[in-house]
Amino acid sequence: MVRRRICIAFKAVSMSFHDSKWFNSLPTPKGDLEKIQRRGREYLDLIGMPKKSDEAWRFTDLSRLSSLFNLPFLLNNPTNKIRKNIPLPSSKFEGFQLVISPGFDPLESVDLPDGFTQLSTAELDGILGRTIDKCSCNDEWLVAVNNSCTYRVLGLRINGDNLPPLELVLDSREDAFVATRIVLIVESKTKFDLFQVLLGKNNSAHSHLLEMHIGSDACVNHGWLARGTKESGYFATLAIEQDIRSQYAFSSVQEGWSFGRLEQKIVQESGYASTALRGLQVSKGKEQIVNNSTIRFDGPEGVLDQLQKAIAVDYSHSIFNGSIEVPRIAQRTSASQLSRNLLLSKHARIDTKPQLKIVADDVKCTHGATVSQLQEEQVFYMLSRGISHEDAMRLLLKGYCEEIVRTLPVSGSRWGVLSNLLEGV
Amino acid sequence: MTSSNLLGELVSKPYKYGFVTDIETEKISKGLTEDVIRLISSKKQEPEFLLNFRLKAYKQWLKMQEPDWAELGYPKVNYQDIIYYAAPKQNQKKASLDEVDPKLLETFDKLGIPLSEQKRLSNVAVDAVFDSVSIATTYKEQLAEHGVIFCSISEAVNEYPELVERYLGTVVPCNDNFFAALNSAVFSDGSFVYIPKGIECPMELSSYFRINSGDIGQFERTLIIAEDRASVSYLEGCTAPMFDTNTLHAAVVELIALEDSSIKYSTVQNWYSGNEEGVGGIYNFVTKRGQCRGARSKISWSQVETGSAITWKYPSCILQGEGSVGEFYSVALTNNLQKADTGTKMVHIGADTKSTIVSKGISAGKSRNSYRGLVQMGPKASGARNYSQCDSMLIGDQASANTYPYIRSQQSMASIEHEASTCRISEDQLFYLQSRGIGFEEAVSMMVSGFCRDVFNQLPMEFAAEADKLLALKLEGSVG
Amino acid sequence: MINPDAELILEISDLHASVDDQPILKGVDLKIHAGEIHAVMGRNGSGKSTLSKVLAGHPSYKVSKGKVLFRGEDLLVLEPEVRARIGVFLGFQYPVEIPGVSNLEFLRVSTNSRRKQLEVEELDPFAFEELVRSRLNLLQMDPIFLERSVNEGFSGGEKKRNEILQMALLEPIFSILDETDSGLDIDALRIVAAGVNELSKKETAILLITHYQRLLNEITPDYVHVMGFGKILRTGGSELALELEKSGYEWLEEESVSPLRP
Repeated sequence: MVRRRICIAFKAVSMSFHDSKWFNSLPTPKGDLEKIQRRGREYLDLIGMPKKSDEAWRFTDLSRLSSLFNLPFLLNNPTNKIRKNIPLPSSKFEGFQLVISPGFDPLESVDLPDGFTQLSTAELDGILGRTIDKCSCNDEWLVAVNNSCTYRVLGLRINGDNLPPLELVLDSREDAFVATRIVLIVESKTKFDLFQVLLGKNNSAHSHLLEMHIGSDACVNHGWLARGTKESGYFATLAIEQDIRSQYAFSSVQEGWSFGRLEQKIVQESGYASTALRGLQVSKGKEQIVNNSTIRFDGPEGVLDQLQKAIAVDYSHSIFNGSIEVPRIAQRTSASQLSRNLLLSKHARIDTKPQLKIVADDVKCTHGATVSQLQEEQVFYMLSRGISHEDAMRLLLKGYCEEIVRTLPVSGSRWGVLSNLLEGV
Repeated sequence: MTSSNLLGELVSKPYKYGFVTDIETEKISKGLTEDVIRLISSKKQEPEFLLNFRLKAYKQWLKMQEPDWAELGYPKVNYQDIIYYAAPKQNQKKASLDEVDPKLLETFDKLGIPLSEQKRLSNVAVDAVFDSVSIATTYKEQLAEHGVIFCSISEAVNEYPELVERYLGTVVPCNDNFFAALNSAVFSDGSFVYIPKGIECPMELSSYFRINSGDIGQFERTLIIAEDRASVSYLEGCTAPMFDTNTLHAAVVELIALEDSSIKYSTVQNWYSGNEEGVGGIYNFVTKRGQCRGARSKISWSQVETGSAITWKYPSCILQGEGSVGEFYSVALTNNLQKADTGTKMVHIGADTKSTIVSKGISAGKSRNSYRGLVQMGPKASGARNYSQCDSMLIGDQASANTYPYIRSQQSMASIEHEASTCRISEDQLFYLQSRGIGFEEAVSMMVSGFCRDVFNQLPMEFAAEADKLLALKLEGSVG
Repeated sequence: MINPDAELILEISDLHASVDDQPILKGVDLKIHAGEIHAVMGRNGSGKSTLSKVLAGHPSYKVSKGKVLFRGEDLLVLEPEVRARIGVFLGFQYPVEIPGVSNLEFLRVSTNSRRKQLEVEELDPFAFEELVRSRLNLLQMDPIFLERSVNEGFSGGEKKRNEILQMALLEPIFSILDETDSGLDIDALRIVAAGVNELSKKETAILLITHYQRLLNEITPDYVHVMGFGKILRTGGSELALELEKSGYEWLEEESVSPLRP
């Protein structure tokens, strides 16, 4: 009797998934990427939609997630030309920009600067999915979703130490579900700035998957700005593999998504590497914004320095899960994680959950979390200097955000991140 | 020899409470059915409400599944292979200690809990539970003069049925979780404490639980009620003999604090933890929860967890009354293949409620020690505050320490602060102490004890020393 | 500088205040005229810092009784920021660190809020930077201070100098300096004291809260008050401070308590 009930429930879930506009608008698997597409769909067939009982989806507004799958999938097919309409900043940019927008080949009539080469189909075949494997996230639902609709991949090899910063703009389409996938191979000793901007449109959904392998002694400064609007949703998985002695600095800002979810998966594969993570998620209205990060140290003497901040106002919900795994091999790891959250409205909600799994004994790990209002002492200090309550709040919030925003790579400034963030908070 | 090897040796010391008392025991046959529950209830001559409570819980339990979210990874327990009631053979409960089987008194003597009038601890009243029944409660009369009720729960069921009926299962409902439901269906004995209005309990109350038989499950039930402006400090201690099978211990503790009252509940848990290969030991799956019902009431949990093969325990506070206070102070030491998953839940419901969590985990050998906690600020908990601190210490490179603090806030005028760290005893620190003439063992012991200081300070004075000694014992007898 | 005809800047009468329902001030009376420098001394817990926080309007401190008039106006009904704007300044004993907020911007917004109150033209960032640099010289402070976050990573002495810098910018009528001398080495103390002396004018007044004589060697007070048990136990000239330095507080406290003892 009990068993039968479970079966019915399972069927009901998978049914609704098969009924979704997204699923039904997926083209038949074909081409070089057919295997990946099939693999993704088989997994989704098996699992269905995420359930509340899955730890990874416990706090998620699942109805909002499934509504994103009621948008039809839009194949990113260059023959299917649609006019570009992307709000790019007008200010000059001392780097190199690629725009991935439905209907366009990002590399069409683009001369890649020295140090950047496109990966051939044969190379891609060997590389695609490798970092995901390394980060043990092949079985993640969001990865399977992206696999299911991987029809184009932008693959680049990056080599050199005097490279222009790369700005990658990922665009969405109104009333459609789009998917983008990027593979970056950063060669040994390369120094490189990457700034990704993911833009939402009204009633849009965007699935993004990045795999980046950072070679030994390489240094990558990675920025992530995900800016949504009205009824927009996105979910991205950034899988990063760090080779020995590499340095990876990541800063992210997420705002304006009805449903936004960023999954960072990082593995330091041979130790002696350093990772610095900075994140800011600002939720307003009825938005739900999630940031999950997992870092695993597969070698000794790795360093992690992580600061995640959130501001939640109105009726919004902000979620952070930060997992740190230190297996036995990772002796002399030093990891620190701090989650600082501002809950500014009566009806807003914040969930934060650091997770530490430590087996090695010679490690230094600290983590901390706070959820509060702006600090009374700080507000009072400002008031006592004659600053109005409103100005004090504004200054403090600005300072609060600035600490993250200033760590974005250079080109971050031209996107007016800070002023945009504080609007309406 | 490297210091970590030495440390490894230090933490593997024999269990000194592992003896078995040879006493004739009355046991019912193995297995759990509705009839078994009726049998337990009739053996205890229980009123009807309690039988109904048990049966209701049993029906719920049948529908529930054993949880596995704590990833504790233990072999499935066969619930039909457990004896649900065992009692040392004696005629009813004894009116005086003289009539108690001397073997039992001797057992408790050996455990350091003398019960006889001449030797018993001054200023601590003890309720001693042997397998499924309470065999003696000391200082009962003296307590009664103040209106304090301290007796076994079986006695309370018969003598104060209205109190038991009013409060039993109100903090931990009988369908709360798999083990709580099982306990509600079959609980055998445990302690009952009632502190009337305005009374400060004149002495420490203590229960001592001893599992003697190898194949029984221990399901004790404790209920503590503090009326308005009452206060009490209660301590629970436990040991078990060494058997190579696993024994199930699934207790439920419910605390109820009314206006301006305070309950302090301390545990020193030293159940048998199995041998170095992880054979045998107690499965300690307990549900402990306190409810601060009244304004400004306070519930404080302190625990020193050193035993059991597996511990699964989250003493929690429901902070309902305005301005009520919850505290959780914990030391958990695991060694060999022990697994401990422990922590607390602080559920802030009322305004201006405050909670403090201090957790110290020490893992040695191949053990796994996890802190799992929840701090929740409900929509009405304006002005509520929480401070948590979770520190882990690792000894040897095969032990693991995990931390899972869940934090959830729905109240902007509440503040939550969580801090955690992981460290080990560094060679530099050891060297520094040794270079000042302190022996290796003592240096380790000093550092572990220093690491746990914040928690030991919270234990009642009589037991702080005992806890320190217990840790030192686990870490070889350099101190005691 | 005592001038009986000078304006009455601050008048405290029978002030009672508490923190967390704990009564701390139990009837403080004090009058301060323009041009005067007052020192309040007393041991830890005597209520000195509470007095300063109450005057600045800290929300955790509740006034249960009494009055405070600032230039004839009820000070206690005013919000803390308004008090600052009309010229009441508190130099904190432990200035709070505010990571991420630029010190320069903080100083500018603060200064302009005072200027607005005084109906003086507000300063744009360039003009302000000029002003602030001139004031930095007064305190021999490194301009690098301006680049940093408010008090973040400042040493104890740097924090105190930052407080005096704010005083120099806000040009208050009445300043309370709470233990400004603690945590300062002797050179820093001289610099801070010189700054305070420079800022002290015949139309302004200063209340120094201190433990030690050494600040009073640098800034000579007109009056010295000794606090204990939430009251002012004794008032005298600068010689009282010297006496306290020699014989401690005990005799004074005993003197004040003994009549109450049975």
